[in-house]
Amino acid sequence: MGIAEILQKYGQNYAMAIFETLSMTLLCFVIAMGISIVVTVMRVSPIKPLRLVGDLYVQIFRNIPGVALLVLVAYALPNIRIVLPWKTCVEVTVVLLASAFGSENFMTGINAIGVGQIEAARSIGLTFTKTMQKIVIPQALRSAVLPMTNLLIATMLTTALGSQVPLNPQELTGLVSYITTDSTGLGILPFMISAVCYAGFSFLLGLLGNHIDKKVRVLR
Amino acid sequence: MSTQTPVIELRHVDKHYGDLHVLRDINLSVHKGEVLVLIGPSGSGKSTLCRTINRLETIDSGEILIEGEPLPQEGKALAQMRAEIGMVFQSFNLFAHKTILQNVTLGPIEVLGMSKAEAEARAMELLRRVGVDAQAAKVPAQLSGGQQQRVAIARSLAMQPKAMLFDEPTSALDPEMINEVLEVMVELAREGMTMVVVTHEMNFARRVSNRVVFMADGQIVEEGTPTEFFDHPKTARAKDFLDSIRGH
Ligand SMILES: Nc1ncnc2c1ncn2[C@@H]1O[C@H](COP(=O)(O)OP(=O)(O)OP(=O)(O)O)[C@@H](O)[C@H]1O
Ligand SMILES: [Mg+2]
Repeated sequence: MGIAEILQKYGQNYAMAIFETLSMTLLCFVIAMGISIVVTVMRVSPIKPLRLVGDLYVQIFRNIPGVALLVLVAYALPNIRIVLPWKTCVEVTVVLLASAFGSENFMTGINAIGVGQIEAARSIGLTFTKTMQKIVIPQALRSAVLPMTNLLIATMLTTALGSQVPLNPQELTGLVSYITTDSTGLGILPFMISAVCYAGFSFLLGLLGNHIDKKVRVLR
Repeated sequence: MSTQTPVIELRHVDKHYGDLHVLRDINLSVHKGEVLVLIGPSGSGKSTLCRTINRLETIDSGEILIEGEPLPQEGKALAQMRAEIGMVFQSFNLFAHKTILQNVTLGPIEVLGMSKAEAEARAMELLRRVGVDAQAAKVPAQLSGGQQQRVAIARSLAMQPKAMLFDEPTSALDPEMINEVLEVMVELAREGMTMVVVTHEMNFARRVSNRVVFMADGQIVEEGTPTEFFDHPKTARAKDFLDSIRGH
């Protein structure tokens, strides 16, 4: 079977897998951004216990391999009576990983702001919350566009963890295992199709990221 | 003048950074309309003193009173109080992602609760006063250092402060830009603004200040009128210091 035949037989599956991969990516990324903002605000807050919790969160989830984290979520959580659908397990794992890295990106952005602007904000009477809202977060967001683009791509690639659990429909990587067991003798062709999809989307996201960065970048 | 409540009053203020005793029993009053120049060797605690006045730094003991009222502890009240004392930093510290106009309107809108239209009208007026109104739509990185510092002054003024602190406002500037900033400060002094200025610009000190306070090792060593201090310093430390900045 050549590419044409594979696509003819499994085209529908690929289309659904692309949709699964992209929709999981988008959902996970949006939630991860929300969590990383919260975690980052905790990490720079004047309240020490909050800072500790934030730092701990990042240290834990940044340093566990994705597969190990998925195993924990899928097979350890049921021990404490938390049984999640397979897809949710994958999404939770991806969100935990991505939010830890996301917070690191924001921290880099915040460190670039420098203490001077924050002091200036305080000296005109802005409270901690307002300083965060008006000065720190907007600048951290803008200077995080490029690293966050990379994180978005990494998030997409991480949804391939979905191949480790039974999903229906499958995402792009899981589909490859399905096809190679369904029809034998296809070699790496089914994988190549998925790989081209990943690479193509990564490329487009990269372009989009560069475009946004040019528009919002903070001149220094 | 001395019968009035001082705008800023420090009583027996002490502060340590670990083992370093940066402020030692500081007693200082600044009255309404007074321009006080704070001078002293590097590391003597001038910046720290300024920063304690609007509580960017805490103190270990003593009292700081603004118009007779003690500085509140943390929280919203303190933030409000900070707004009453303007601060101009050596490194300008303009908000990099906001336009010049937004830099000046942010405080009035967010802290004073002013409407956007009113804040903008007043900001344009202030920017005109400091001579950078033509740059209102630009971002800070597009301005020269001197222009940025004048915007920083306008940003402080927009809060209608009771007093302003200047921490070496011209020492990060190229020489040709120093005067444009000093002129703005001279003008402010003439209009009666209460000012504490850390600076080594002796001409400025002589022209506009009422009093020079000389600090060394965290202590106020000597104070007097500019003429007294610059022409007839009383202490050996002040003499040495003046020699060093005059390049002897
Ligand atoms: N955050 C800090 N932690 C520890 N030590 C500090 C801190 N800030 C300042 N110091 C020290 O306190 C002393 C006084 O510093 P300060 O900045 O007030 O001096 P200054 O008179 O403004 O000097 P300069 O003319 O160099 O600006 C210095 O020895 C400095 O190293
Ligand atoms: Mg200093």
